[in-house]
Formats: sequence, C-alpha cells, structure tokens
Amino acid sequence: MKFIPFILIIISPFFFTGLINKVKAIWAGRKGASVFQPYFDFFKLIRKGEVISKTTSFVFQISSSLNIAATIFALMIVPIPFAGSVISLPGDFVLFSYALGLSKFMMILAALDTGSSFEGMGASREATFSTIVETAFFIIMGSLALLTNQISFNAIFSVLNMSAGYTVLVKILLVVSLFIMLLSEGSRIPVDDPNTHLELTMIHEVMILDYSGPDLAFILYATSLKMVIISMLIANLLIPSFLTLAAALPLFVFILFLVFMVVGFVESLIARLRISHVPQFIFLMTALSLTAFAVIAFFLRGGF
Amino acid sequence: MSYILAGTILFFIGGLFSVFIKEKFKGIGFLSFAVLAQVFILPETLRVLFTGSQIEIQLFFSEPIGISFLRLDPLAAMFVLIISLGSLLAAIYSKGYMKMYSGNKSALSSYYFFLGLMVASMLLVVIVQNAMLFMIVWEVMSISSFFLVSFENNKIEVRKASIYYLIAMQIGAAFLISAFAWISASSGSLDFYSFKNVLNNSSFISVLLFVLFFIGFGTKAGFVPMHTWLPKAHPAAPTGVSALMSGVMIKTGIYGILRIVLLSGTPNATVAYFVLAVSLITGLTGIANAVSQKDMKKLLAYSSIENIGIIGIGIGTGMLGLAYNNNTIALLGFFGAMLHVVNHFTFKSVLFYGSGVVYTQTHTRNVDKLGGLIKYLPVTSFLFLISALAISGLPILSGFVSELLIYLGLIKCFSVSNLAINIFAVLGISGLAFVGAMALLSFTKVFGIAFLGSPRSQLHGQPNEKDLSLLVPMIFLVVIIFTLGLFPYLAFQLLGNAVRQFLPANSVADFSQIQTTLKLLSNYLLIFGSLIVFFYLIRLLLLKKKKVEVFKTWDCGYQQSSSRLQYSSSSYAQPFLNLVSEFVPQKIQVEKEPVLFPKEASLESHSQDFFERFLIQPNLKFLKKSLNLFSWIQSGKMQQYIIYGLIFLVFLLIWILGVS
Repeated sequence: MKFIPFILIIISPFFFTGLINKVKAIWAGRKGASVFQPYFDFFKLIRKGEVISKTTSFVFQISSSLNIAATIFALMIVPIPFAGSVISLPGDFVLFSYALGLSKFMMILAALDTGSSFEGMGASREATFSTIVETAFFIIMGSLALLTNQISFNAIFSVLNMSAGYTVLVKILLVVSLFIMLLSEGSRIPVDDPNTHLELTMIHEVMILDYSGPDLAFILYATSLKMVIISMLIANLLIPSFLTLAAALPLFVFILFLVFMVVGFVESLIARLRISHVPQFIFLMTALSLTAFAVIAFFLRGGF
Repeated sequence: MSYILAGTILFFIGGLFSVFIKEKFKGIGFLSFAVLAQVFILPETLRVLFTGSQIEIQLFFSEPIGISFLRLDPLAAMFVLIISLGSLLAAIYSKGYMKMYSGNKSALSSYYFFLGLMVASMLLVVIVQNAMLFMIVWEVMSISSFFLVSFENNKIEVRKASIYYLIAMQIGAAFLISAFAWISASSGSLDFYSFKNVLNNSSFISVLLFVLFFIGFGTKAGFVPMHTWLPKAHPAAPTGVSALMSGVMIKTGIYGILRIVLLSGTPNATVAYFVLAVSLITGLTGIANAVSQKDMKKLLAYSSIENIGIIGIGIGTGMLGLAYNNNTIALLGFFGAMLHVVNHFTFKSVLFYGSGVVYTQTHTRNVDKLGGLIKYLPVTSFLFLISALAISGLPILSGFVSELLIYLGLIKCFSVSNLAINIFAVLGISGLAFVGAMALLSFTKVFGIAFLGSPRSQLHGQPNEKDLSLLVPMIFLVVIIFTLGLFPYLAFQLLGNAVRQFLPANSVADFSQIQTTLKLLSNYLLIFGSLIVFFYLIRLLLLKKKKVEVFKTWDCGYQQSSSRLQYSSSSYAQPFLNLVSEFVPQKIQVEKEPVLFPKEASLESHSQDFFERFLIQPNLKFLKKSLNLFSWIQSGKMQQYIIYGLIFLVFLLIWILGVS
C-alpha cells in the first residue's frame, strides 16, 4: 500500500520544478514552458555521452550516483502523511540528515576534484552554509521530539497534532524554518539562483559545472527530489494526525502544490541575496527553530 | 591474567631487544615481538570481553605500594584490545616509515626502546588497580611518549613541543596525584575497589574528587582547556607514534574517567551536566580549529580533540541517564561513547598513517603545497577518503553508528520531565550536528585540497606507494571501519559486557531492544549501500557505447589556467572562518608597498586557538612573571650555591641537636 504513493513521489520531482518555472513565467507575463519540460531535459540528458575533465579521479565519477542514491534513501525515511515511511527506526531523522550529508560530502569533493577555482568557490560556500542548516534541522527535530515524546519520524508525525493553543505558534515557526531549509537545500532564490550562469554568485550550480550527460541528469533529479522531501516534511507538520485518508490525501497534494507555488512567488518577487547576507538569512532558520523549542519547553515543562 | 602480563613484558623486551641488534633488523625485531605479544594478549582479552567475567591477580610489592591488584574486567579488556592491536599496527607501520631515518642508529634504538616501554606502560595503566602503582606506570607512559615526541630533537619546534607536552602531562599528573592522595587517605587503602565508599556518596567531597580526576585524566585525553598540548605534540612526533598517541594513548584518559564513573556508582546530576558541558565545548573548539589548519597532522590533532568531545558527550549522557534513573539513556550514552573510542582508534589511525605516507613521499604536511595526490597514491587516497567519511560520522561507515547512539541517548532525554535535561539535550544534539557539519567542512578540505585537483607546487620526484608495510595497517583498519559500519550489532556483541558494568542489573530489556535496533539499522544501511551500487551500475549502463570524452576542466573561457588558481585550503575555509571569527581568531598580516600600483605584496594568515590565547597564555605569562621573582635563587654564582649548602648544614645541625 505504501509503495504506490512512494513510487508516485519518486516520479514527481520534475513536475514540481516545472511548476516553479511555470509560476515564474506567468508572473513575468510569459506563457512559459510546459510543466513537464524538466522531464524532457532529463530524458535528453540520460541519452547523451559525457565530457569528463582530465584532472578528475574516480571521486568525480561516483559522486553523482551516490548523490541520487542518498537522496532516494532519504526519501524512504520520510513518512508520507497517510501511508507512513518505507523504513523507520529510532532516531531515523539522524540517518536521514547524515545520508544527505554523505551526498553533500561527495558532491563537494567532486567539485574540488575538477581543480577549478569556480567549483572550489561553490564547494566552500556549500560546506559553510550547510553547517548552519544542519544545526537548525536538529533543533527542529529536537523540538518535535520534545513535543511528542517520540524518537522517529514516523512516530513523531503519527501523534503530532498542532492545531490548538501554543502549538499553532510552534507550527508556524517550524514551517517557516523548514521553508528556509527548502530554499537553501534546493538552491533557490534568495540563497542561490539555478538559472543564471554567472558563476561568481552561485553556490550549488557552480559546483556541478563540469558534469554532463547522465551524471548531470542524476544531480538535477536529486536536487529536485530533495525539495520534494523537505516539502513533505512541511506537509507532515501541517496535516494533523487525526485526519482520515480521504481528507489527508487531497490536503497533502494541495500542500505540495502550495509550497512549490510559494517558491515560485518568492523567486518572482525577491532578488538573490548578496553572498555575504546569505548566512544571516539561513541563521533565521536557527533563530526560528530555537524559538519554537523555547515555546514548547515553556509550555510543557512549566515556567522558567 | 599472567598471559596479559607476559604480553606486556614481551612488548618491553621487544623494545629492549631492538636496541642491541643491527639497524636493518630493528623494525622487524620489534615487530616479531609485537606479533608474539598478540598471541598472549588477544585470547584472554576476547574471552573476558565476550563472557563478561573478571580475572585478577595479586602482586606483592614492598611499601609504599603494598599489595596491588591487577584486574581485567570487560572495561579494561576493551582498552587492552585497542592498545594491543594499535601497537601491532604501529610496529608494522614504523618498520616502513622509519626507513626515512636510516643511518641514524642511536635514534632508531631509542625509538624502538621507548615505543616498547610506552606500549607496556599503556597496557599496565588499564589493568593496574592500585593508586600508587597506577601513578608510576602513568608517569612511565607520559615520559616514554615524551621521548618519542622529541624524536627529531634537532628541530627547535620539536624540542619546544615535547617540553610543552611534558609540562602539560605533569600538570595533569599533579591533579591525579592530589586526587589519589586524598581519596586513599580517606578510604585508608590504595586499592581502587576501596575508593567506591568515598566516591559513592553525593557529598561535596566526592564531587570535588570527581572534578579533580576529570581534570587530571582530561589533560591526557585532551578536554578543553587542557587540550593545547595535542596540536603541538602530535605533529612533532614520528607518524607511527602520532597515530598511536592519538588513536590509543589519549584514550587512556577516557579509560581513567570511565573507571572513576564506574567506581562512583550513581553520579550526581550536576557532575553529569559538567561533563556534558565541557565535552560539548571540547567538541566545538576542536573541530572549529581543525577547519582553519593547513598542517595535515595539526588538523588531525584538532579533530582528535573534537572526537574526545564526542566521546565525552556520550559519557555525560550516560551519566545523566544514571542520575535520572533512566537505563535506556545510560545504555545509549555509554555504549555510544565506548564504540566511539574504538571507532576513533580505527579511523584516526588510518588518517595519521595516510598523512605519514604523504609526508614520506612529498616531505611536506602543508596541504596548500599539495594537490592531485590521488593520481600517484590511489590506494592511500581511497583509504584516507573512507576514513575521512567515517570520521565525519557518515553512513554506511562505523563513525555513524556511534554518533547515532549518542544522538539517540540525547533524544531520549526529551522524555525526562525536567527542564534542565531537556535544554542540555537540545544543546547536545544541535551541538553534535554542528560538530558533524564542521567535520564535513574540515575533511572535505583536507582530502579535497591535498588529494584532488592538480598539484600546487613542484614535488621532489614522483610520489609512490610501493612500501607495503605502510599500507597494510591502513587496509586492516578500513576493513574494520566497513564491518562495524554495516554490521553494528557485532560491535554490541564485542562491547556489550563492558557497557553492562555501568548499568544496574535490571536493564536486560534495554539490551535486547538495542540489539534489535542495531539489526534493523544494519539492514537499512545495507539497503543504502546497495542503492549506491545500483545507481552506479545504471550510470555505467547509460554510458555504455556512448562517447565519453576526456577534456580539460571547464574554465569559463579563461585562456591560461594554472594550478595556482585552484582554491587553497585557506580560501576554502575562509567563508566559514569569517562566521566564527570571534571564536577562531585569525591574524592576518598584509604587506604591500604604499604606492598606487604596488609590485610586490604578501599576505599571511594564522589562526589562533581561542583558549590558548585568552586562557592559557595570559596565565603562563602571569606564572612566568611571578616565578621570575625567585630567579635570584638560581643566580649561576658558585659562591651563592655554597652558601645554600652551608645554610642547609647549619639547619641540619640545629635540627639534630634539637631532636636529641
């Protein structure tokens, strides 16, 4: 039963990337490409050959496969609101975060493997910003563990019910926090711009300059899937656990659409931040999640 | 027990023996004794570990040591295991590595002699349970390692580092001596078992004693702020010794702390918070400084401090679990800490050995001078990469399992209804996550800059890795890293009895639960591993019969690309160091001519250790200043010294007359 939604999600990521582009196009007054355009790009890329830099080693060649494997593994850990997750164990969100960490490690090495100064720059920024994101993610999970007294994704989200009292505030804080994580990990504006090719201002895109063909297809897919995974976490926060399947399913799809449309709106309305301001923006995530933790601790454990 | 003792003596004899043989055979001579010692040590150690039994013998010394017990319980056995194996690997490695110093017969003799002495004393440290005898072997360990650190004593920085190390060890020992003196005075015996009565109550004295022990042992282990000797001594020592010191010797400090925790019974919650807070600061300080290092071995030394912090967080969590009567938290904390002790031994040794291979081939440890080594040293690079991944705590390798257990212990703390423990838990998990992310930053840096890309400077000759004795220890350890990473329940079978010592008898349910969790985890990690292989095969399939062109790196239309344009380790770390500049102060010196178009300019950047700069150095200065007031005592004038003798004799005369 849980495999059908899982398969659907596995094939969905490019649709949502297309959706972002469509929203941006409409907002800019253009007609825009089809929402399925990223699929066409993907299939075009996997049919192609590759150009590989002579500076590189095996690290460059295994990183893209490892990246996509780690992202799909991370997807298996995140519960789908009405079906649960494919795999679950105590502390699985640590495994989730560290599996993505492995892919990050290898992608950074692949960037350094080319010996290009641009890619080194991207790698350095990626590593720096991920120190903030990862810390904040664990504060979020700590808050949820404190609130629900559970220690795995599945268990946390199956009892989570944030629809009354102070938990509404917590919900808002955590959703915004996760949304910043989505923008940063998905390399979207205002953190990063997936569309320009001005290498000096970019983070994630500049790291993969030397990839082509199937490797590039893998990486593009993994990035899109990562955004879907984080929006699934947002959906899990928003959907109360008591809802029935019939109510939760449409709500889940609606939330995913909404999240990606908001990403499109943000991209249309806001300019990319100056690179020196990006850390401040991501630190917002830490601040919000710490506030959420403080609120929960205050109400659960009594006054300070 | 007598077998273990025999093995210990064999290590010592091996060292002694290689003093007297020809230079060519010194390495192999010591190695054969080391192998023989394993035959004596391993069977009994493993038996104790798997059965959970305890063996002891009594030794009779004259006063003041008196009767002293040598005990091998599972906790000691676990440390005996890593000391013994680590020493064997160091012996294999030294055989190849010390070829660099061939021709220097006396230096090699002293190297193997002190290596044997150090190993023997480390083994004794973990089995001796008599305070006086313990301090003796503890000091022998410190002093023999001091001689190993000062191996290249013709270099001024090595001399400085080794003296610094010796002084730091003596300060630590001073704390230990006072703690042992106090505790044996109040318990009336020198035997560790009798300390239980003193440590077991939650009085102020026992808390104070624990803190004294913690500082004493923590100096050896490298807890902040007593950590400053590590980044000086580790790079100074020959690599075989650096690996042994970082992978094994600093763990004797952890052993000491664990032993005291074990004797203390149920700890005071305040003490547990103290350990947790210090460890958290240690982890963060260590790795934040590692990010800024250019010297490979210095970076590894700082990362050892970080890992000691992680182990400490595990111990602190375990103590919190005991203090709050929660067996699950205690089990996860202690098991995570002990597994991390073993894991850190494996990957840190490989990293040091790898940096040693790089050093023998390139004669530099500065990563900014290296690059592209993966082309010349493919095996070393691969092994280094695996260990770098493992030390960053990434799945499917061993480092992940121990960090996961500590995380789990901290997350379980949320279920305790107490605000303080909840706050410490969130600080702990976010701190661990931050440490992990910084570890990712430093190890992508060291591997990416030194091994990948293209060479940044002209090397003397072509680096190669023909010497098998340098590779064998690394390969052996990497196999362990994979095994413990993919099949973590094996680690539990190995260490379970050692962990059980810390827990009350009613924790059987928790043990079977953790076993199930680890089996489940193992399955999932295997799924992850096969996913990686699966996608790599798909990639190969997609590229089959396609054109794969090898071309130069995309350089954005730049015509003259040079390897010096690559990112260096300083530029790679710079964005992060800007964020944490308050805690990792950078000293940047720019020199250029004060004209509009300067022709020559230079820039130098150094990072400073926060605690060393703001805590250690001012105190040292103060100490120096105040002790200088007494410098007239040692004036160098012979007449003055004769007067001292005279005064002493006069006092003696008066005293004797007075007594009689």
